[in-house]
Amino acid sequence: MKRILTLLLATGLLFAGCSKAPEASTAGASGTKKITVALLPKSKGNAYFISVKAGAEKAAQELGIDLLFDGPTDPDPARQNEIIENWIALGVDVIAAAAENRDGISTALRKAQQRGIKVITYDSDAAPDARTFFVNQATAEGIGQTLMDEAARLMGNAGEFAIITGSLTAANMNEWQKHIEARRASTYPNMKMVALRPCDDLKDKAQAEATALLSANPNLKLIMNICSPAVPGAAEAVKQAGKTGKVQVIGLGLPNENKRYVNEGVTESVILWKTEDLGSLAVRAAVALAKGELKPGDKTFAGGSLGQFEIQGDSILLGKPFIFNKSNINQFDF
Amino acid sequence: MMRHFRELSVAGVLVLMLAALAVFAPAFFQPQPLLSLLTREAPALLVACGIAIVIIGRQIDISVGSLFAVCSVGAGLLAAEGWPPLLVLPATMLLGALLGAVNGALVAGLGLPSIVVTLATMVTWREGLRWWRQGQFVDLPPDLQWFGLAQTSGQLVLVLSSVVMVALLAYALRRLAAGRFVYAVGADAEAARLAGIRPRLVTFLTFVALGGLTGLAAMMNLVQSPQVDPKTGTGLELKAIAAAVVGGVAISGGRGRLWGVLAGLLLLACIAPALTHLHVQAYWEKAIQGAVILLAVVGDGLRLRKERTG
Amino acid sequence: MKFRRAFLRHETLLAAVLLLEWFYFNSVGLRFGTLDNQFDILRHTVEIGLLALVMTPVILTGGIDLSVGSLLGLCAITFGKLWRDAGLPIPVAAACTLALGALAGLLNASLITRLRLPPLIVTLGTYSLFRGLAEAVTRGVDTFTNFSASFLFLGQERWLGLPAQAPLFILAATGMWLLVHRTTFGRSFRAIGFSPEGARYAGIPVERRLALAYVLAGVMAAAAAIIYTSRLGQARADAGTGYELFAITAVVLGGTSIFGGIGSIHGTLLGVAAIAVLNNGLVHARLPREAAGLLTGALLLLALSAEPLLQFFRARRAASSSKSTALTPANPAPPPPS
Repeated sequence: MKRILTLLLATGLLFAGCSKAPEASTAGASGTKKITVALLPKSKGNAYFISVKAGAEKAAQELGIDLLFDGPTDPDPARQNEIIENWIALGVDVIAAAAENRDGISTALRKAQQRGIKVITYDSDAAPDARTFFVNQATAEGIGQTLMDEAARLMGNAGEFAIITGSLTAANMNEWQKHIEARRASTYPNMKMVALRPCDDLKDKAQAEATALLSANPNLKLIMNICSPAVPGAAEAVKQAGKTGKVQVIGLGLPNENKRYVNEGVTESVILWKTEDLGSLAVRAAVALAKGELKPGDKTFAGGSLGQFEIQGDSILLGKPFIFNKSNINQFDF
Repeated sequence: MMRHFRELSVAGVLVLMLAALAVFAPAFFQPQPLLSLLTREAPALLVACGIAIVIIGRQIDISVGSLFAVCSVGAGLLAAEGWPPLLVLPATMLLGALLGAVNGALVAGLGLPSIVVTLATMVTWREGLRWWRQGQFVDLPPDLQWFGLAQTSGQLVLVLSSVVMVALLAYALRRLAAGRFVYAVGADAEAARLAGIRPRLVTFLTFVALGGLTGLAAMMNLVQSPQVDPKTGTGLELKAIAAAVVGGVAISGGRGRLWGVLAGLLLLACIAPALTHLHVQAYWEKAIQGAVILLAVVGDGLRLRKERTG
Repeated sequence: MKFRRAFLRHETLLAAVLLLEWFYFNSVGLRFGTLDNQFDILRHTVEIGLLALVMTPVILTGGIDLSVGSLLGLCAITFGKLWRDAGLPIPVAAACTLALGALAGLLNASLITRLRLPPLIVTLGTYSLFRGLAEAVTRGVDTFTNFSASFLFLGQERWLGLPAQAPLFILAATGMWLLVHRTTFGRSFRAIGFSPEGARYAGIPVERRLALAYVLAGVMAAAAAIIYTSRLGQARADAGTGYELFAITAVVLGGTSIFGGIGSIHGTLLGVAAIAVLNNGLVHARLPREAAGLLTGALLLLALSAEPLLQFFRARRAASSSKSTALTPANPAPPPPS
């Protein structure tokens, strides 16, 4: 029995070793012609990055390049590094990364640069010396200010509001929160943040949290959601509590998940950039960098069908965050 | 009195907490928000009771969260296909029961350890679902919410039906032969076998029952909002197991009451909203939750220790 | 002796699976087989590997420790805080962190041994408690970075051609192997796993041995936290989320019975390697991340059911051969591990 097993295994191994060899070499031959771009999201299975991926895939098809899209299944800086180092070993041409954690990821990105792999970041930046360009959809400051300004407009510059975040440890959300608070303190001193609750990136949990917030804070005028599943969750809670119109809901989220609430008047506005364009621009910039068409010091970048983009220093600017509301949300599908 | 020490002490802690809330945050007891809270916890209650039954039978299931997500998405897709709710409900329960049967077959049929089997199925279902759906929300038809009822009556229906369900289960577990078989198998499978019970069949059926209950729970959660988040149910297994254990179900099998589980779940479920009402910052929430779980079991442990030594 | 043969076979099978995996990925991924990539795999596996190593004696005693991942997070931020806010030099901060790990392990141990509470429940509680404390202390926001290059060397650079953390891991693995397989401690872990009462009657200080297993787990979680911090160059309260499940998976995949009593450190190492190679290889095979989870689950089920299925067939063959050749006594199948 044991001997048979060993024999089987040995032949299996030999077979695997031999039969695959020619395939591998042809793959290598075609691989030298095509540029391979590896796109790293903060986490997979998240509507935001699915939309980014959709844009990236369209651009990849148009440009005729190989696109790799992979990331941790849950936001995890350690896994991000692991994937980047795998890509280094794999020998991709360009890495475009959305950093879950600035310092954590920079080590791995620097290593990639040392091996001759071009690196850009998108969505959220790494350390400046760890990448050539940053495709900047909106700065943390811009997001914080836009959210706070929108909240102030809806609340008449005074009153209580609460924030629902993804998790207490998410780096980008903490960064946004910092800027929200800074803007509040400097411009809207009469507004007060009464609570901050995490929803673990789950819509159902956000709904439960919002329900508790509503009953615990009778003077609450607005719920601000800084992770995308929380926006529809909070909106459903407000609707069920019968406080539509009395308590406003705003947040960072995708149009499709929120259309119904925006149209019903529960959610006032959803703020986001055009995520597909972000993915597309990240891929285009990555390819241009690999081909040498994009160099440090350039002032503009021609993004093909997307048009011209301004470059500030080493940031390629996607444009301002976009406010989706009743008047325009039905035109978008992502 | 001593026989129900754990159940009574948990119920006592719950009453204390509610009393404290009544004094410091009376707003907690507004009828509508309270009803909403109970409605949101009704699905978790069913899952916790299902898990309690499995644990009483000396097994464990940590795959319920993933199962819950698969059932939710499955039900959502069926409903979006235009199936009437009255067909989606049994279909979802069937799906849950089938997935539960997979666990049950591996545990009872092959005699594999349940914690490892369900660890494997937990990862497999969750990742498979993510691969398939890529995290996309499922939009539900508008008439599915609250089964087409008005909101308040829908909520009442959900809460009452979950309570009735738990009462039925509790009755079956204590008074019917099939229920007592679960205790017998959990206490001593070999003795149960000698007494003419088929332990493997009982184990298999507890997993199927848990699966069916999870399917039902997924459906009850589904009708509370117009979209399905495919990540739903993440961490549900820990909540349900914690509720069962805090509520006095012995992890070594053969002991536990469903009303204890009810008290345990309510206690755990009230922590987060209670902190919100008391305006305690969220940073402490997980630590407090852990402390509550530990305190609940430590009390019992101290009492038993005293019995042993004195 | 029969037992020994039974689980030796499990480990041989696992080694074969590992080799198959390796050769498969080597054939589809061009750069998979490079030495650099092997070192990458090793570097990324050290923390989970350490946790799996100490999880082995815990599971051998019939227990489990769900709190190691959370403890890793708590230790990481404690280490960061001691270094940055208390201004302690790195070695002192590291020593204090290890002490904290031991203390946390002791908390688990005393609840389990003194109050005779089930390990699953105790560590489920401390799983929330440790992570919650880490979040409370840092308010979720605080991230510790800008460690000195000499500290980052440990996690990021090479030493004698090997990843710098590799010698530590090898040391820990050797130490644990000796402890479990070459000392009376190891034998007492197994004895407790088979029957705590029996072990007590045999004169084994059950409480102290159990406490040792959980304290070791705590210390190793702290060591893993320091290596993690060095590898990423940052410490945050969410470090190590979910690592306990990876560690348990590796241990069980390695043939350690979840009921205790049976298992080995080398099996655990093979389990860790099988999962690590799978995770790395799938990227080289250009398969998505979800496949790793799916295949790990499948592998786990396969590894588990291989044993009972093999036994079933062996028993049948034994039965039929004993009928045909009455002269040669059939080799009876070893009894199931539990």
